[in-house]
Amino acid sequence: MMVRTPMVGSLNKRDTARGASDQKVRLVDRWRSYRAHHRTTFSTTLQKMAREPIQTTLTVVVIAIALALPSAMFLALHNVQQLSSGFESSAQITVFVKKETNSQQVAQLGKQLDDLPEVSAIIFISADQALEEFRALSGFGSALQYLDENPLPAVFLVQPAMSGATDLKQAQQLVKAIDQLAAVEDVQVDMKWIQRLATITEVSKKLVLAMGMALGVGVLLVIGNTIRLAIQNRREEIIVVKLVGATDAYVRRPFLYTGLLLGLFGGVMASILLLGSFFWIGRSVAVLADLYQSQFQLAGPGLAGILALCLLGALIGLVGAWIAVMQNLRAIEPK
Amino acid sequence: MIRFDNISKRYPSGLEALKRVNFELEAGEMAFLTGPSGAGKSTLLKLLMLMERPSSGTLLINGKNLNRLSRSLIPSYRRQIGVVFQNHQLLSDRSVFENVALPLQISGYPSSETGRRVRAALDGVGLLGKESHNPLTLSGGEQQRVGIARAVVHKPKILLADEPTGNLDPTLSAEIMALFRRFQSVGVTILIATHDINLINSLDHRIMHLEDGILTDDGAHSNGR
Repeated sequence: MMVRTPMVGSLNKRDTARGASDQKVRLVDRWRSYRAHHRTTFSTTLQKMAREPIQTTLTVVVIAIALALPSAMFLALHNVQQLSSGFESSAQITVFVKKETNSQQVAQLGKQLDDLPEVSAIIFISADQALEEFRALSGFGSALQYLDENPLPAVFLVQPAMSGATDLKQAQQLVKAIDQLAAVEDVQVDMKWIQRLATITEVSKKLVLAMGMALGVGVLLVIGNTIRLAIQNRREEIIVVKLVGATDAYVRRPFLYTGLLLGLFGGVMASILLLGSFFWIGRSVAVLADLYQSQFQLAGPGLAGILALCLLGALIGLVGAWIAVMQNLRAIEPK
Repeated sequence: MIRFDNISKRYPSGLEALKRVNFELEAGEMAFLTGPSGAGKSTLLKLLMLMERPSSGTLLINGKNLNRLSRSLIPSYRRQIGVVFQNHQLLSDRSVFENVALPLQISGYPSSETGRRVRAALDGVGLLGKESHNPLTLSGGEQQRVGIARAVVHKPKILLADEPTGNLDPTLSAEIMALFRRFQSVGVTILIATHDINLINSLDHRIMHLEDGILTDDGAHSNGR
């Protein structure tokens, strides 16, 4: 065999030149190669993922669905809250005045209502005004001419001072107080259902949060399992690099990157799903809101929400990979 | 350089692989470790690679007690030794060059120096032309030489080899041994475990003999350096 000696020669030269410090690698070189290893690990991880497109896609889709589902529900509930808070501020108490009340008594009732501390504003609609309004809006105007007298009572619209639904008790007391006033026929308040809705949304939010956490654990397990398989597939490689002096961090790195990237891609895909369905549903909601002459607009996830979703995916991926690595890597030692 | 002081190794199974082994290898010395299969040759090498820890006794490398080396320091210790494995332990998902570069990459050498050193090591084992090949496409002897190049690329002070000529014909074995002698000539301490008696007898080197875990001959008198 032809064995020339340049390598041996260089070994000699180095030995005399650097002596015992020959084994040492300069710190700056180490830092540089540390970063280089991060870079190469990053790109080889991407390459490995691209080489198994079906496996990678399946994992990413599972993660994406698990992230998108609770996010979408949370967003929906957020919108319901937005919508109902709009109702809350417009919560009114309708006070119907007894038919046989004369104008003096009506004026007195108006003053009594205005004097109540919980009332911020009142609007009076006389029986004639009510009739005019009915004639204009209902479309049954022509039917009214067959009536002998105005069937409609005079009405006070009372705007309570507090913020509606959250202070239902206060509202109830106010209703009771108004009911006891003379010349009051009936009091109607549309606050109960608003409060029920608000409570239901609160409860649903908690349920969605619990579901989100459960799905988050699911994502953790999916990624953990993927990483565990990857570790087993690369058992030989792990043993070899450990034998030639790789640190635990070096061995861990490709698996942590795999988890991080799977989670990140899952988060990105979840964002795409979320935005897609948002625009899809948003258009119908706009039409619906238009029919109700409402200014309501579907609130989207926003840039911050999208970023948070992607970061959350990446974080869960990293944590899942870390757990799998901690459980499985120690067991692989050269024997 | 390497000193075994009353080293015993008992496995959890109860097997006593090494019994009170004593020997010392000077820096730059080359020795063969012989004995039948199961005599404890592999165990002795595993202790030196820190794949196993001795049950009792002291293992000194360059005057440092290896028993006291914590788990986290094992990687940096392993970077200072070179190991040639019987089954090569090459990675089939990368080229010959990348296999040889692995120890340098792990130790954090700059890439320019890595390239230079890898090519020098491959040149040394006569495989410079095959750096872009996959190890699986090489013959057994070539794979073993790639393994040797990887073991010496970071210029270790100690080179360990476990049956490096195990599956090779006599001509190839002789070539591999010639390689080892060259490393010895530049001051590397070398310990080779082998049962290839014919080969050893043709060379004039220290021969240690293990029999059933006992070092029956430490070969110090036949030191042929």
